[in-house]
Amino acid sequence: MKAILIDDEFSNLENLRTLLQKHCPQVNIVATAKNVTDAVNAIEKHLPDLIFLDIQMGEQTGFDVLNLLPKRNFEVIFVTAYDQYGIQAVKFAALDYLLKPVDIDELKTAVSKVEQKLVTLSQNSQLDFLLQQIKNPQPAISKIALPMQSEIRYIALSEIIRCEADNTYTFFFLANNEKLLVSKSLKEYADLLKPNGFLRTHQSHLVNPKFVKSWLKEDGGVLLLTSGDKIPISKPNKEVVKLALQQL
Amino acid sequence: MKKTIFTFLSFIISLSIVSAQKGIDFNKKYAAGGKLLMSVDSGAKNVYYSSIPPNQPNTYFNYLPEVSNLSIQIYFRKNINTQNYRYTILVDDKPLVVNKSIDKTQLKDVDMPDEVFSSTSLGTFAIKGKIITVLAYSIEKPQDIEKSVFYGKIIPKAKITRIAKLAVTNEGAKYSHLFISKSKTDIKFSEEDLQITVIKNKSDIDYLYYISIKDKKTDETILEPTPWQYGGYVEKHEHIPYLNIPKRVFKKSGEYEVIIRPFIKDHEPPKDIERYVTRHTLSITLEEESYSKKDLLVYGLIICAVFGAIAGALLTYVKKKEVKKLVQQYKEKEIVELQLSSVRSQLNPHFLFNALAGIQNLMNKNEIDNANKYLSKFARLTRNVLNNKELVSLAQEKTLLDDYLQMEQLRFGFSYEIKTNDNLDLENIEIPSMLLQPFVENAVKHGIASKNTEGKIEIAFSKNDNNLVLTVADNGKGFSADKKHEGLGLSLSKNRISLLNSIYKETPFVLAINSSDAGTKIDLTLTDWL
Repeated sequence: MKAILIDDEFSNLENLRTLLQKHCPQVNIVATAKNVTDAVNAIEKHLPDLIFLDIQMGEQTGFDVLNLLPKRNFEVIFVTAYDQYGIQAVKFAALDYLLKPVDIDELKTAVSKVEQKLVTLSQNSQLDFLLQQIKNPQPAISKIALPMQSEIRYIALSEIIRCEADNTYTFFFLANNEKLLVSKSLKEYADLLKPNGFLRTHQSHLVNPKFVKSWLKEDGGVLLLTSGDKIPISKPNKEVVKLALQQL
Repeated sequence: MKKTIFTFLSFIISLSIVSAQKGIDFNKKYAAGGKLLMSVDSGAKNVYYSSIPPNQPNTYFNYLPEVSNLSIQIYFRKNINTQNYRYTILVDDKPLVVNKSIDKTQLKDVDMPDEVFSSTSLGTFAIKGKIITVLAYSIEKPQDIEKSVFYGKIIPKAKITRIAKLAVTNEGAKYSHLFISKSKTDIKFSEEDLQITVIKNKSDIDYLYYISIKDKKTDETILEPTPWQYGGYVEKHEHIPYLNIPKRVFKKSGEYEVIIRPFIKDHEPPKDIERYVTRHTLSITLEEESYSKKDLLVYGLIICAVFGAIAGALLTYVKKKEVKKLVQQYKEKEIVELQLSSVRSQLNPHFLFNALAGIQNLMNKNEIDNANKYLSKFARLTRNVLNNKELVSLAQEKTLLDDYLQMEQLRFGFSYEIKTNDNLDLENIEIPSMLLQPFVENAVKHGIASKNTEGKIEIAFSKNDNNLVLTVADNGKGFSADKKHEGLGLSLSKNRISLLNSIYKETPFVLAINSSDAGTKIDLTLTDWL
């Protein structure tokens, strides 16, 4: 598996190279790059299967590298020191990322995920989706990538009625009556979708307020959705949910 | 013709000279309207002079019921061109002079209190039983005719000639004329009726009469004095005075009185005014019960709308207030959260640097993989502090404690265990972040640091009814509960818990500390959290 490492700090490049050589020998590092131009050139020259891409590179970003490439038929593992800038968009695109200093176990997991995906690689649609999100910074992100067993689904947030936890899995209930199972915890999606107005009403429930019909007083508080579903509101969340619905 | 008029006029004048000698007091002059002044019998009582009916701006009414002889004079300011003036005098309906100019040679200067006027007499008249009308205008403004009426008769009472009722039905408007008995008319209003019309007899002084209506029971005036209308009724090519009175003027069934009285100088009305007043009783019956379904529906809707509007306004008000209150609560919550985050960030420097020292030790011992492992743990802990997330899942809190305790294990050789109840959904139950860490840190520092490998820490996440119970127990030497100085970590934690309780009012956090020689156990119960 051909890989290119991109980071503006030499010690980070060297460290990642050492860890990969030791723990992921299947990764063949064909080049490293310390700036956007070098990175674009290296990618066009070597046509890698995978790039490790630092997000914050001085004045520029790893997203600039992607934007300059006409063809993006490779996988990306983002590497970032602090998960603020851009990481939200990366999460919405369901792309993989590592935090510095790189944890060996997380690195191994990420690489093996890429190995599984590599089989069917043409244009990487998740990257297209990511760049779209970065390019048009809307007040609220309008779509989310949901990794399914055999495909990535891009779902408009306005189409999501609610999410329900099933241990480390999450069910998405859509307006067209579809029910999707995604292998990430509800907590992760709650963290992603709460800034977009979704309400965590209960440890197992995340609700799109757009679909709330009424607040029923039964059992200490239940939300009736337009779909007819009744969603419990747990005590610790009551105030927050009430406030959010009042302010709509 | 000219000759006839002249002769006639001279006859009148000679007659009036005789009358003048009959005792007109020329020293006393009354305003008679426009440029006219008048003098009357020296003994005359009840001279009602120069009334101006409110809707007749150029008409002046002088009521002289007890005057026999009258002298009329015209007065000009000095700046007025008297040559432009013309006047007409009518006695009853017959013209005495028509459009006559002022005889310049007859004009004399008269000293009035403020200025000097030019004046001449228009004549002296026997007024008893007569009506003398003087019309005067300037040919510069021929439309502005000033009309002074000298009324030497008794003003007659007005007569109601008819009362008609107008109903609007599907077939159109329908008038019905009601019979008027002498003093009382019965009127029944049904839902179709719109108004009644009161029609007065025609007279030359219609402008003098005003109609009002009062409720006989309450004596309340329900129709203020109102002048007549013209245009609706014509009799013998003449417009007849009438007034439309809408049904809604009569709020209830009962007796009402129509009062028609002449307007005679209202600041000093005649004492015997009653002799001029026409009174007529209307006995009104409102058929309220016969409201049509449509009317009921309309009224119902109006009432509903009114109540709806009131309720709506109230609701909006209440809701606004509630929103205000909520915003206030929200603000308070934000303040508490700010305080909380500052408390959270104070918790950490203690162990962060100790952890770095632990990693340094591994590097020096050349344990590269271990150093990597602990470095990752260190990074995760640091990130947790810096991220300052409000809520983490139980699973995340468990990982954090695991990371922390493994790092502390590098320094002290104790053992630990984190037990979690099977029926807790660790991935999805959220708690405030870094909630247990300070207690665990206390357990390490004050509890078992000195005990080496014998030291043991047990952490448990368990469920008790709907409560989430978080427990930290150690087998250290304990501390006395009444000890004055608590560890910094403990006092910060207590502070934080009370702040959390001000946010989560319905699910209070209860902290119980049990300490003895055999160890310390801390129970943090999140009431009704699950």
